[in-house]
Amino acid sequence: MAVQSDPVRAQAPGPSNTDGAVPGDSLSGPRRSGPGLLSRFAPYALLAPAMLATLTLLLWPLVNTFVLSLQNLNKRQLIQHLTEWTGFSNYTDQLTSADFWHTTERSVVFTAINVVLIMVGGTLVGLLLNRLGSKMRLTLGVGLILAWAMPFVAQSTVYLWLFDSRYGVVNWGLDKLGWHSMATYNWTGNQASTFFVIILLIVWGSIPFVAFNMYAGLTTIPTELYEAARMDGAGAFKIFSSVIYPSLKPFFLGTTFLEIIWVFKSFTQVYTIDGGGPERSTETMPVYSFVEGIGNQHFGVGSAIAILTMVMLALAMVPYFRVILKQEDEL
Amino acid sequence: MKRQLIAAVGVAAMVVGVAACSSSKSSDTASSSSSKPANYNGKTLTAWFMDGSAPQAWQDGVKADFESQFPGAKLNIQIQKWDGIGQKITTALSEGSVDVLEVGNTQTAGYAATGGLLDITKDKADLGGSDWASNLNASSVLDGKQYAAPWYFANRVVIYNKGLWTKAGISGAPKTLDEFYQDLDKLKAAGVGNPIYLPGQEWYTYFGLLAGTGGQIAKQSGSSWVGNLESPEAKAAFQTYQKLQSYSAAPKDKDEATPQQMTIFPKGDVGAMIGLGWEAPAPKDMPADNVGYFPLPGLTADKPSGVFLGGSNLAVAQASKNQDLAKGFLKIALSDKYEGMMAAAGLVPNKTSLNALATSDYAKAAIPASTNGATTPNIPAWANVENTPNPIKDFMAAALQGGDYDSLAKKYDDEITKRLAQKN
Repeated sequence: MAVQSDPVRAQAPGPSNTDGAVPGDSLSGPRRSGPGLLSRFAPYALLAPAMLATLTLLLWPLVNTFVLSLQNLNKRQLIQHLTEWTGFSNYTDQLTSADFWHTTERSVVFTAINVVLIMVGGTLVGLLLNRLGSKMRLTLGVGLILAWAMPFVAQSTVYLWLFDSRYGVVNWGLDKLGWHSMATYNWTGNQASTFFVIILLIVWGSIPFVAFNMYAGLTTIPTELYEAARMDGAGAFKIFSSVIYPSLKPFFLGTTFLEIIWVFKSFTQVYTIDGGGPERSTETMPVYSFVEGIGNQHFGVGSAIAILTMVMLALAMVPYFRVILKQEDEL
Repeated sequence: MKRQLIAAVGVAAMVVGVAACSSSKSSDTASSSSSKPANYNGKTLTAWFMDGSAPQAWQDGVKADFESQFPGAKLNIQIQKWDGIGQKITTALSEGSVDVLEVGNTQTAGYAATGGLLDITKDKADLGGSDWASNLNASSVLDGKQYAAPWYFANRVVIYNKGLWTKAGISGAPKTLDEFYQDLDKLKAAGVGNPIYLPGQEWYTYFGLLAGTGGQIAKQSGSSWVGNLESPEAKAAFQTYQKLQSYSAAPKDKDEATPQQMTIFPKGDVGAMIGLGWEAPAPKDMPADNVGYFPLPGLTADKPSGVFLGGSNLAVAQASKNQDLAKGFLKIALSDKYEGMMAAAGLVPNKTSLNALATSDYAKAAIPASTNGATTPNIPAWANVENTPNPIKDFMAAALQGGDYDSLAKKYDDEITKRLAQKN
């Protein structure tokens, strides 16, 4: 969780960065004390632990995954410790497979729906947090934190219970409300309803993060801006589009891209709700990679799918990095 | 306070690390001292058994006998769940972290082909293999070599709640499927929620129904194997399954293990279920005299429906550092004393001479049905079909939920064919 919130914290002070005073101070600090050996290496020494952790925990598995993806590695090769290089045939097999492209398409649509719902829902809750009195804000904040702090598997288990076909409280409630045909509705029985449960779960679990960031961002907007806008006769929508959105543009950008990454690679929720079923119709890329790689014990194929998933995500991030680089040029 | 906590965590982590180092070191020294066979000090034989296989008394007895026959050696029995077992076995065989393991009969050929199981052809006679029933030994043999030893076999029977049946006015077990349907109708009329508990993905029962009519779930075509759900026999067997399933409120897209049907049955609203002996309720949950067994009846009274002949073999890992101990263990575990114990627990033992020991009510129902039993094709690629998501299970769920049989059968035959053709 700590790692996940770091990039946004770097984003959040975005608006205040524009005055340029803060970064200038911190840069001139060491320079003033003279270019001693210690002070010149200090920044690198301070960076080293983080770099080392990143390299060992992220890059090393990544390199290994890539190496595996170039091999024909099934249970026989794994058990006998054989290495059979196959070049890029795992990749060409996937890129020419209809299943792979279906899954890609499904993942993209799935991510888009989730991210839109998360951003809209999170923004609205953030605005609400800003408007509430202190007691209600605390209550809502605690609720959001609890939802957010819940481990994915626990979240999924709760949703499985809620949506259980015979003993679930959702079906019970729908039945009591008069929808008697829903009394034993099987939510994991078809693609649409299974996705409905998964999306609800992911959106519910992701809103607190967006809402808190939104709220944090809103507190940085001076109240004079609102007052001025209201004097000019702006309504709620106008205030949002002319005051809030421009001030918090870096927040929206950063959070949206983070959510794209998290939703696209979300495995736990999708897998625990129905294992990618029914009939493999809710498999997204990470689940597909797991089922082909670990489930069917074709470890090379699974690695190739994982690498392709990463390439896709990297491509999706290109616009984000372009904006970031442009902003740094402007500074 | 906080700093103390951090320090404590750090110390704990270090202790775990040191312990891990020391344990790996000790296992190294154990393997290097194998030149002195008489001394088994410090050696541990790790054996994996599946959930529900070995009765506790069997485990205790085998452990005691093993540790007295090989003084100093320890037997470490670990019980594994069936769910996701394929990957666990692959990892264990690769790492050499298991010495003796139970392998399901449908998966033995697959693991034999990976080279992970020790060839025990030479030891077969010593283990008593000349008396093994040949149909039960078939799954342990690949290309003429013995890669495992048959341990026990089991087939499913109808387990029923006698109290509910009496209340519904039924006397005696049905002799034909039609009689069984009538009984289920009576149970339904008497207000029993689940006249039978049969989830939609219980493919073993479907397989049995299919095998009983001479059908095959996959057939050989030339040198390759192809899915055969499209055959008329498979369709007819499915209709029987569907009819039985229609008497159940169990989910159509789940199997018998999610939730475990043995936890549903004792609740008192289930007239019957199709299960193995170990799934019958424990006496604390339901009095034994309230539980009855009969083979799933057939179309005619002269023979019951076919059954899936499930079973397990015991194999030695190729990567095991204690292969002599492992063979010694097999000899104890497969001795008449312990095979007889398996028979008494209601399982089919590996020697027909021990069948007489199978006197439980379950065994009395199971053994007649087993004569009409069959197992999956004994080819290495079959294990691929059973990898999650199992296409047969997906097929059953889809067809039971109103899908068109023929088009689904085509789709899933293609998937089965694809998996049977996968290179190893």
